[in-house]
Order: sequence, then C-alpha cells, then structure tokens
Amino acid sequence: MLITADMKMADLIHLDFQLLAVIQRIGIPLGFREKTIDEVCKENNVNTDFFLQISNSFHDKDFFPKERFFEFKAEWLVNFLRRTHQCILEHKIPEIELKIEGLVEDLKATTRNYELIKNFFTEYIRELKIHMELEDNKVFPYVVELDKSLEANKKTPKFEESFSDYNIQKYLEDHNDIEEKVFDLKNILIKYLPPPMDNCKYNSLLFEIFRLEKDLSDHAKLEDKVLIPKVKLMEREIKNL
Amino acid sequence: MVRIIIADPSYLVRKGLSTILNELKCVTQISEVSTPDEISDAIISEMPNMMIINTSLSSIPEVDSLIKKQGTELNIISIFNSPLPNNSSEKLISILDGKSVLLNKLRNQVKNVQQSTQQQENSEELSDREKEVLQKVALGKTNKEVANELFISTHTVISHRKNITRKLGIKTVSGLTVYAILNQIIGMDDIS
Ligand SMILES: [Fe+2]
Ligand SMILES: [Fe+2]
Repeated sequence: MLITADMKMADLIHLDFQLLAVIQRIGIPLGFREKTIDEVCKENNVNTDFFLQISNSFHDKDFFPKERFFEFKAEWLVNFLRRTHQCILEHKIPEIELKIEGLVEDLKATTRNYELIKNFFTEYIRELKIHMELEDNKVFPYVVELDKSLEANKKTPKFEESFSDYNIQKYLEDHNDIEEKVFDLKNILIKYLPPPMDNCKYNSLLFEIFRLEKDLSDHAKLEDKVLIPKVKLMEREIKNL
Repeated sequence: MVRIIIADPSYLVRKGLSTILNELKCVTQISEVSTPDEISDAIISEMPNMMIINTSLSSIPEVDSLIKKQGTELNIISIFNSPLPNNSSEKLISILDGKSVLLNKLRNQVKNVQQSTQQQENSEELSDREKEVLQKVALGKTNKEVANELFISTHTVISHRKNITRKLGIKTVSGLTVYAILNQIIGMDDIS
C-alpha cells in the first residue's frame, strides 16, 4: 500500500509497525493524536516528501525511488543514517549481547561453545564500531561540509582545512560488508550449535539477529545506492566551483 | 531450495515472473534485480542456482562475462522482448508467452535445478579435501598459504572455499573457525 501525506500518522504504525524505526530515526517523537503525516512532519520540521519516500521504501522493498532521493538535502540522509548507527550500537547490539550472555546457563555443559559464540560476537561488535565510527567521524562530516560548500557556492574554510584531499572513493575502497558475520552467526545458531534447553530464549536471540541483519541491509542500501552516488554527483559539482 | 534471480529492467515483467514462479510447488527464494550492478551483487549475496535474465541485460559485455564466469553452476533462462517460434528451447521465454507456456517451461527448468541441487545438498557433507582446506583457512591461513601446503593452485583453493561456503552457509573466516571448532576439525588451542 502506498503511504501518502494525508494518512494519519498513527494509522501508519498500525499498517506497519516496523516503520516506528523510520519515524524515530527521522527525528519525530510519538504522541500523534489524530494528526496526519503531513501535519506531524511540519510540526517537527521534517520534509514531508522525504518522510514519505523513506517510509514507502522501508515498507515495500520494490519501492525505491533512487532518483527522488538524490533531490533531498544530503544532510537529511546523513542525520537519518547517524541515528540508525546510534540505535544499532546503543540498543540493538547490547540487546543481542545480553541475550547471548543469557545462554550461558543453557550451554553450561559446553562452556566452550558458549565462549565461541560470545567471542565471535564480541569481535563483530568491534568491527561494527570501527565501521560506524569512521562514517560518523569522517564520511558524514565530509558530506555535510560538501553540501554546505555547494550551497554557499564556495568551499567553506572547514572543507578546505579538513577535506581538501578527501573523496568518497577513499571511503568506498574500505566500505566493507558488515552483514556477513551476522549471516554466519545465524547459520551457526540454527544449524551447528548443539540445541539448547530453552528454545524460547534461543529463538528470541535468533529473532533479534534476523532483525539486525535486515536493519543493516536496509542501512547499507541507503549508503550504497543513495548516499554514495549522490556524493559523487556533488563532487562533480564542487570541481566546477 | 532453488534460489532464483530475476533480472529484467521492467518491474512488470519481474513481478509477473515472480507470481508465476510462486505458483510452482517448489521451495524457491526469488530476488529481483534490474541493473548490471545489482546482478553482480545478487550473484555474490544470494548464491543463486538459476537466473532468468532479459537478453537486453545479458547482452551487455560485462554481464555476459560475469555469467560465463559462473559456469554450469548457474542455470540461465533468457527472456526475449520479442515473440519466439513455437518449438523454441525451454531455456528461452518471451514476454509475449502465455501462462501455460511459461508455467510449463519454468516448471521443467526449476524441477531440473531442484533435482541437481537436492543431490548436492544431500551430499552436504564436506569432502575430505574441503575439510583439509577448511582446517587451514580456520587456522587463519591465506589462500596462498593453503595452496602451497596442499600443493594445489590458489584458484583451486578459491573454488573449494566457494563450495565450503555454499554447503555450510558460512561466509567469513571467523565463522568458519567457529564451525571448525564445533565440529572438532581444529582444536580450541590451535587458535591464538
Ligand atoms: Fe553506516
Ligand atoms: Fe556502512
């Protein structure tokens, strides 16, 4: 179903509760009463069209208006991606970590297996943090400064100072796949780990891992298919300044 | 499980084929793509057994060479935007074909693929050679080191690794290490 500006915001969540994540990451608080999407967006200084395109593409994987996304301010996208990082690192990962720690009782007989899974995930968290910190501290500030420079029609002092020899190609070269290990963890838990005693606990861990994988893949899609091509276009423009 | 990629620039054609494939009583995982970039991404991430691809895409040189690189592992069915003669091969379909023609052709093709993948999946067990490769990879050795130690080419190592990943559903070295320890292929003490 196509999401439109005149829909009530509360109905949107009933339609697809996964969109709660989009609403939060775009910077809109709950408490909608009977207000429409358009009204809520305006109240929170969010561009309604940007909200609609993002929610439609998260709601329906076939809906991905790549070209439309290019028209929006790079900063909006960057803020969205930043909030996603924050949500993943501060909430989703600790939740999974806790659930893995909760397995220790079940896997007591095989402490070794528990250690294996725990270490595997700890290593993964470290990689994920490095990946996201690089984006938060280098790539995103670069994109924002690039955007400001284009708007001002001249390179900002900060751009000259910090990013004069940086370009998105450098980031692309080591923009690695952060979903692969999650994929592996899933299969190890489903196929290879001796079955645990408490299936319910175990399933809820798996469930979180599946959700994390989906979240990461949606996130990477926005980075790879929207942010990077858009920055390439912006880089072409700044050369002409 | 038969994994299929539908590669066609047209959304309508992709959806139509998806719908028809979903009517076939085999477990299939379908992913839809529309550009050469997406095709190469999907081949890596989905590990497909079959690709149904429009000739407007498969005729692009880079896509063509990508397909050739997959060898016989990947079954190709071509979609034509023009009509086909009545007795054309089952590996060719036209967007003008009716439901019965499409359903028959696709059913036969999917069945063939299913039979061959089932044989493969039943022999899910790693071969002795694959276990040797896995053991060394799990210990953190590079493809080149593995090749030297087993007196085989790096190319062969890579192809063993591909098969290991396909059979186990594990892509990363640390994942393989966990698997190897769980299955006593290496010991916990072997890794630092
Ligand atoms: Fe990111
Ligand atoms: Fe990233």
